[in-house]
Amino acid sequence: MTPLAIKNLGLALGGEPVLRDVSLTVGAGEIVGLLGPNGAGKTTTMLAAVGLLPRTAGDIAVFGQDPWEHGTGLRRRIGVLPDPNGFYDWMTARDYLTFFAGLYDADLDAASVTRRLDAVGLSPPARQPIGAFSRGMRQRLGLARALIADPLLLVLDEPTNGLDPRGRREIHDLLAERAHAGVGVLLCTHILDDVERLCTHASFIAGGRTVAAGRVDDLVRTHAAQPRFRLELSGPVPPAAPAPADVRVIAHDQGWAVVDLDPAVTPDAAWRELLFLGWPITAIAHEGGGLEDVYLSVVQSGPPPAGAHTTNARSTAPQTGRAA
Amino acid sequence: MNAVGLLARKEAGELLLSSRGLGWLLAVSVVLSGFGLLLIGSQELSLLDNAQVVYDMLGIVTGLGALLAVAAGADAIAGERERGSLLPLLLAPIPRGGLLLGKIAGQAAAWAVMLVLAMPYLWAVGSTGQNMIGGGIALVLLGTPVALGFGFLALGLGARLGSSRGTLMPCLILLLLSASPLLLGPSLRQSAIGVAFDTVNPFSAALNAYDAVVIDGQGAASQVWHGLVALIWLAGTAAFAGVGIHRLRH
Repeated sequence: MTPLAIKNLGLALGGEPVLRDVSLTVGAGEIVGLLGPNGAGKTTTMLAAVGLLPRTAGDIAVFGQDPWEHGTGLRRRIGVLPDPNGFYDWMTARDYLTFFAGLYDADLDAASVTRRLDAVGLSPPARQPIGAFSRGMRQRLGLARALIADPLLLVLDEPTNGLDPRGRREIHDLLAERAHAGVGVLLCTHILDDVERLCTHASFIAGGRTVAAGRVDDLVRTHAAQPRFRLELSGPVPPAAPAPADVRVIAHDQGWAVVDLDPAVTPDAAWRELLFLGWPITAIAHEGGGLEDVYLSVVQSGPPPAGAHTTNARSTAPQTGRAA
Repeated sequence: MNAVGLLARKEAGELLLSSRGLGWLLAVSVVLSGFGLLLIGSQELSLLDNAQVVYDMLGIVTGLGALLAVAAGADAIAGERERGSLLPLLLAPIPRGGLLLGKIAGQAAAWAVMLVLAMPYLWAVGSTGQNMIGGGIALVLLGTPVALGFGFLALGLGARLGSSRGTLMPCLILLLLSASPLLLGPSLRQSAIGVAFDTVNPFSAALNAYDAVVIDGQGAASQVWHGLVALIWLAGTAAFAGVGIHRLRH
């Protein structure tokens, strides 16, 4: 049974709509990246997925059941690493894991607790309280807690936050191993490298809507198809010098701009047109494709018009839902 | 041990064995020592009789217990929420009712320890008089629902407000208001407003029961009405907390 399926999710907090149309699917053995800018609704989506927030529209199914209705039972099968991630600072890591194991009816002996801590690369002194842990150690302990009941679905919010490169690699290996064992993983992160290394699928949300979803390689192929350039500028673009219709500004600041060109226009013609309009261009560099391009492209584009995208990430065809 | 028992043990451990919990117990001991000395001094100077001293001590213990319950209750939901440690609990497979039971059971354990701590002080101020045992029984029977009711109130408000400071303020004001009979003179309490307030105030119910048992020499079992008021208070605040925890969103 599919670990997590969200379809057209709508959710309001305090009467204000936060999610308008979010859809994603996490299959068994898949690691799905959930990406989007701050305030896009990623954490809200994750909390709704584990049954902590009630939806106002759409459907959520965790192993075929509604998590809002059957949350207590389903949570035995879900491991969650929330952000922020608080602990009982006066406890030791061992006491903390043993306590949570008890809440999940997982009776762990001392050796099992040691194995759990080793699995996330955490071996603190036996009597060291959690309050004395570094941020990275706390993150590892949170991950150990999420894995305490050997869940079949993992929902992780920024799992590699605060970890050094080696720690990140270890967590990547751990998640890949879990996915290989059939665990579905929903990975919410701002670190695109995590998604590129780990995820088979990605879902981008912006403004409470899914704006693109699909296999990572399909998304990259589709969104990298348009020629993308980075322009170095000697000053700001004059206010009366908008970009021509065949040049789309993806991002810009005082000294630079990233633009997509319409495939129908040649770069030389586009640069001449921009210079004519007063753009202070000093250098032009071709930007390579990648998930960052996809992110900038789909997130800057904003939500697509109603009916303009399909968010079923399980289709074999790339479905990017990019706004026109 | 089931999840509720584990949670209760964790809460009791945090309230009694953590540095903060030990600080609380030390503060309670200091306060009881101070009041104990004042009461014994008053007794020695013949300003208060022995029964009045025991009555006052019972009221002080009940007030301190309610204060401890308010502080612990505000921290148990709103404080944990602010520190981010509530979310992992909400994500664990514990029903909301179990969460509430575990939290209040921890507070009950802390109250029990406080009762044990108070007994030597009670003996110190009242050992030469009568009705001390009856007073102790009345303290357990009526002080417990009053103190735990304040704990439930703080848990329920904490679940709704999400802020420990925001929870503490109204709870402390209510506690001060309800404990005001400890400070008000008899004439004020005998006015129409005072009588009406005493009738519905759980703290007054406990104080009036202590008065009846310790000063008037009545049996603790005869304080049915006062016990009923205290139990209604406990049930009402428990329902308030239950609804608050059930509606708790992150």
